[in-house]
Amino acid sequence: MSRTRFRLAGATIALMLAAVAGCSGGEGVDVDGNDGAGAGGVLNAAIGGEPDQLDPHKTSAYYSFQVLENVFDTLVEPDENLEMKPALATEWTTSDDQLTWTFTLREGVTFSDGSPLTAEDVVYSYNRIIDEKLNNAYKFGTVKSIEAADPKTVVVTLNAPTPNLLANLGGFKGVAIVQKSNVESGEITTKPVGSGPFVVENYSSGDSIRLVRNDNYWGEKPKLDGVRFTFVSDPTVALQNLRGGEVHWTDNLPPQQVPGLLDGDDPTVRSVPSTDYWYLSLNQARKPYDDVNVRRAIAFALDREAITKAAKFGLATVNQTAIPRNSAFYYEYAPYSHDVNQARQLLDQAGVSGLTMDLMVTSEYPETVTAAQVIAAQLEAVGITVKIRTLDFAQWLDEQGAGSFDSFMLGWLGNIDPDEFYYAQHHSDGSFNFHKYANSTVDRLLDQARTETDQAARKQRYEQVAKQIVDDASYIYLYNPDVAQGWSKQVTGYEVRTDRAIRFREVALAR
Amino acid sequence: MARFVIRRLLQSAVVLLGVTLVVFLLLQLVPGDPVRVALGTRFDPQTYEALRARAGLDQPLVVQYFDYLRRALTGDLGVSFRSGRPVTAIVLERLPATLSLAVTAVLFAVVIAFPLGIVSAIRSGSLVDHAARVFSQFGVSVPDFWMGIMAILLFSGVLGWLPPSGYVALTEDPGRWASHVALPAATVGLVTASILTRFVRSSMLEVLSEDYVRTAEAKGLRTRVVVLRHVLRNALIPVVTVVAVQLASLLGGVIVIEVLFAWPGIGRLTYDAVAARDYPVLQGAVLLVAALFLLVNLVVDILYARLDPRITVK
Repeated sequence: MSRTRFRLAGATIALMLAAVAGCSGGEGVDVDGNDGAGAGGVLNAAIGGEPDQLDPHKTSAYYSFQVLENVFDTLVEPDENLEMKPALATEWTTSDDQLTWTFTLREGVTFSDGSPLTAEDVVYSYNRIIDEKLNNAYKFGTVKSIEAADPKTVVVTLNAPTPNLLANLGGFKGVAIVQKSNVESGEITTKPVGSGPFVVENYSSGDSIRLVRNDNYWGEKPKLDGVRFTFVSDPTVALQNLRGGEVHWTDNLPPQQVPGLLDGDDPTVRSVPSTDYWYLSLNQARKPYDDVNVRRAIAFALDREAITKAAKFGLATVNQTAIPRNSAFYYEYAPYSHDVNQARQLLDQAGVSGLTMDLMVTSEYPETVTAAQVIAAQLEAVGITVKIRTLDFAQWLDEQGAGSFDSFMLGWLGNIDPDEFYYAQHHSDGSFNFHKYANSTVDRLLDQARTETDQAARKQRYEQVAKQIVDDASYIYLYNPDVAQGWSKQVTGYEVRTDRAIRFREVALAR
Repeated sequence: MARFVIRRLLQSAVVLLGVTLVVFLLLQLVPGDPVRVALGTRFDPQTYEALRARAGLDQPLVVQYFDYLRRALTGDLGVSFRSGRPVTAIVLERLPATLSLAVTAVLFAVVIAFPLGIVSAIRSGSLVDHAARVFSQFGVSVPDFWMGIMAILLFSGVLGWLPPSGYVALTEDPGRWASHVALPAATVGLVTASILTRFVRSSMLEVLSEDYVRTAEAKGLRTRVVVLRHVLRNALIPVVTVVAVQLASLLGGVIVIEVLFAWPGIGRLTYDAVAARDYPVLQGAVLLVAALFLLVNLVVDILYARLDPRITVK
């Protein structure tokens, strides 16, 4: 018995030694074989977690969309300024009453398996989302019908003018055009068929997703042979992978190290302002947060710069209106300076003293946990005791849904059109209005702006909305974070996008 | 012997049934709504209801449980709530990664713990003995995730010997598998080794004080022979149990280490399933782990009889 044990032990040591030897044999950059001179190589990308599934209509995970951005197409898609540009549709017209939109599809587009992508596929995809009430069904709220006039023409009929229809149909790949047979075979969850620049070749659960170039792609052919996504949840490990050359690209960088990394050139780390925003929400169904003075007092008590420094190591822009500076809807309005006296005065007016406030944050988003500590310290200074509750996200959502909170901190990601975030969060019928804010003026303005087709008038309405929301402190907006990503010196042609879409179609890998 | 095995298998089946019930009930007590997690922050109430119905979560609990049980008996552990894929497949495809990590870690532990434990028992009170005890105290008290990060920074960062994370299947490329498994296995193995060293040492010490050892020495046998033939063989019996229990618990997935090293095993699957409240996957993973645990225990009981003829399997 013991002798067998020792023999096994010897074998293990031998294995370990072989392993060490094998590594020093130059395993640095893994490009999965393929050493042809003209070949583009395989880019290794480390993302922070595993996609739950690859059906773009059913997933809501950002990890899934990091992959799917490279696999699927939408009718239109946002350019770097988040303006909607032609993708599968080359042009579109709108009827005079704004209720009929006619899209012309690009010539000669096929799915990656070679079958043609026609107007019928667009109709099928949209109806699937609507009929099965899938995640993004709300984006089709005003859509009456979708028809294929001919194989190259899609007609969308609306119940009401929808000025942000393009953003709804192209904002992200959650409304991608899918293939009916791929859906019906059930393969879409692991082997989706799209028309994008890459095709999913292999999905190895828990480990990696391998994409290869789609040779049938309608656009400029990608330079890379493929992309291999691995799931590395620890940012220190991801950065180590990037430095060691096992990985060429990652967006999972330790936040405290990003400021230092921005100065170096290998790896290249870039950071741009994102369209996300983070905020503090007070439960207006509970006393004393139903009193606008209390909410405003808290807004004055916060030092946003300090919160940003702690939570994002300075990689964020403070903002009091949600809409980021680079958006066409940006509205300069920041009435809350950090003013402890003002805050105390407002609390006195409200007759509130010795308040203890419950603040719910989630470990899913560590920046809320860090920010909460700074917020607690700042509110302490105006006599409010903050009790921080750190929950996992599932439980957090549960408590939020039940309204069991005094306050919470959360973010809203990938924002393009104000209708989407302002309506859901501040309209009294909004699906995300868990803090029970109700202001009939805001409701009316939001309803009007939703169907206002004159862009200038629409922008003006949203400015009024923004002002009212900020004055009422419906949400206390804090900051727009930057999005930081890093890649090795070998990678060229990659741009960090403000909407955090990860596009590898123009990327090349030097070797 | 055959009857023993059959009886144990039947007992195991009852235990597994209990496991399904307990896990199912526990999951109901855990706060958190899988539908809300799956939908993320943007959805409307109709989407919510539709997904709830599709997942069968609108059914009464009793119906849900017996549905699950009925299908589980045919090997169908349901469909993952999030990915829509069959749980049986999801759980089984994670098995090789966990198996290879657990077995390597235990081998690593045994390689360290046996010599260390034996020497430190024979030379009790010596410098080696003290060093072994410090080592074992260190291994038990230092958190494994911290040790993992330090190992990555040293062996991958500073020395550049090993990849910091990732997985290659043993069947695909044994060399690259070994280079990837080395760090996580060593990290886990170090903790296991610490525990084992103590057991080997105390078990050896106990046997060393037995009369027959003194007799053997009195016969004039060399220490080497006494230790290998008389002491070790007897001291191993309780140690085997500890090794088996360690192996069984590692088979349950070393959650923190698997997450840290991006190792696609049962532990990481469990971790993700908990975060997403993916009940079917969680149930499947726990069931598999429970089954493995029972299996390892059965093997140990049989092994016992082989190691020590005084023990008979009834």
